[in-house]
Amino acid sequence: MNSIFTAKRLRWFAAAIVLANGFFPALWILLTSFKTEVELTAKPITYFPHAPTMANYMAAFKDQPLPQYLLNSLIVAFGSMVVTLFISSLAAYAIARLQLPRRNLILTCIIAVSMFPLVTLMVPLFEIMRSLNLLNSYWALIFPYTVLSLPICTLVLVSFFQEIPRDLENAAMIDGCTRLGALWRVVVPLAAPGVFTAGILSFVNAWDEFLLSLSFNSAASFRTLPVGIQMYQGEFAFPWPTISAALVIAMIPVVIVILIFQERVVSGLTTGGIKG
Amino acid sequence: MNAAPRYMEAPRRSWLDRVSDPSEKVLAWMLLTPAIVFMTAIVAYPVATLIWNSFHDVRLLAGQSGRFVGLENFALLMQDAQFWRAVRNTMIIVLVTVPGSLIAGLALAMLANMPFKSRGPIRLALLLPWAMPLAFVGLIFAWFFHSEYGIVNDLLVRMGFEPRIWFNSPTLTMMAICIATIWKTSSFMALILLAGLQTIPASLYEAAEVDGASKWTQFTQITLPLLVPSMLVALIFRTLTAIQSFDIPYSMPGPGEETQTLAMYIHMNAVDYLDLGYSSALAVCMFILSIATTWIYLRYVRGDK
Repeated sequence: MNSIFTAKRLRWFAAAIVLANGFFPALWILLTSFKTEVELTAKPITYFPHAPTMANYMAAFKDQPLPQYLLNSLIVAFGSMVVTLFISSLAAYAIARLQLPRRNLILTCIIAVSMFPLVTLMVPLFEIMRSLNLLNSYWALIFPYTVLSLPICTLVLVSFFQEIPRDLENAAMIDGCTRLGALWRVVVPLAAPGVFTAGILSFVNAWDEFLLSLSFNSAASFRTLPVGIQMYQGEFAFPWPTISAALVIAMIPVVIVILIFQERVVSGLTTGGIKG
Repeated sequence: MNAAPRYMEAPRRSWLDRVSDPSEKVLAWMLLTPAIVFMTAIVAYPVATLIWNSFHDVRLLAGQSGRFVGLENFALLMQDAQFWRAVRNTMIIVLVTVPGSLIAGLALAMLANMPFKSRGPIRLALLLPWAMPLAFVGLIFAWFFHSEYGIVNDLLVRMGFEPRIWFNSPTLTMMAICIATIWKTSSFMALILLAGLQTIPASLYEAAEVDGASKWTQFTQITLPLLVPSMLVALIFRTLTAIQSFDIPYSMPGPGEETQTLAMYIHMNAVDYLDLGYSSALAVCMFILSIATTWIYLRYVRGDK
């Protein structure tokens, strides 16, 4: 009896540590976002807001074009997700299913792309975007982000395509489908969970990226969230409650994504095992 | 005029047929084309430009756009104290946060692997840090370590220590940067290791239990060796991302440019000074660092098996 009790307690303890580690920073920002300026500068600091206020959220929208940043991030993340999925699903199908000499070498080449530091690509890409007049545009980010997620998406999709029984495809071709028709009507619907997983990973990768966004899109109308959030700080002032409110709003989309798709995300990350 | 009418000719595959129903091998290469085009345009060509630039004087602000200078950029870099400081800071981040996030991730994975009734909240707690942009993490931790109103100093005072002005000292700033980085990256590590832990058959532990092995022996003799493969993959990528550290150190600036990383120095030279030659030489250094790291890991993996 006694030992069962301690085992249960140990489990609670373990759960408490994991949950606190994962949620505390977000929770702290949430609490800060409801504090008034007066309360924030009180000493000793308070943990829970005494007089919760929405003023910081108003300020977050007033001081910077937050909806614009959100929209930019969404466009860039969705755009690069669509392009990445298109490219990687075609490549993955070829690698997983078709007669291809040296398929492993090709897959290795695609995965090796993730060994190239984005920072090193940043300098020449900056030059290219500059000469193509693409600085301060959505394309300046959508194209490079594609390469950011291409390796993991291809890897995830190859493993999904390999699990689809070949007979289904052959049956479709006997019934008069062309090979591309079979790909579109049979393989794609069956691989949908894999496509979904790959899509989420590439969405999050693009959503999180900071360096290229900071370097290529300096105009406010094309700034993405991670860069936009940094703009709340003045030269001397750090309006923490406002920044916290903006962070809370900025985190909502990704929290929704992982709330809904958590199992997909975990399975995708562990098949790929790539990219932090 | 006197050629036979079209319909009399033997049925030939038009180009349209060939495109819409190609042979398998042709189709394979057709499907690979977009990937190859993108990899060429966004990886291969830039890398070639990078190497070309690093041997040229491309200072756009000074109107220099491509005089060949041989190894001059690299010679400059060897004597550049700011470069060496950036390399040192980057190496500190690599050497502290890679083992740090492995240990923290392993601890989190072991804790999360306990038999809970519902796994949902635990999984979310591991996913949230992974999904949070690094730049946000930097800002949040900068707020934690705030000298006046930060919770870290608050806790230090409550435990009877002196509060610190974290971002006035390069050493303390580096500590804060490393803690933020470890927090952000350990949960991804934990997810990978958790997947690895769940593939270890329970029978191994039962057998060890029968043989009277202690929990610690079980951990070092069963758990760790079987986790090595999943650890190695995660470690390679963790190390490569640590070499590129930018977002967190950028959002948690220390005094002056004392805590600048190599990536930040490259960014400064390229975007602020528009000195593409010098920044390319710096980028080549980072490139070499990444390749050397991968090579060492791969050698270790091969040597191990």
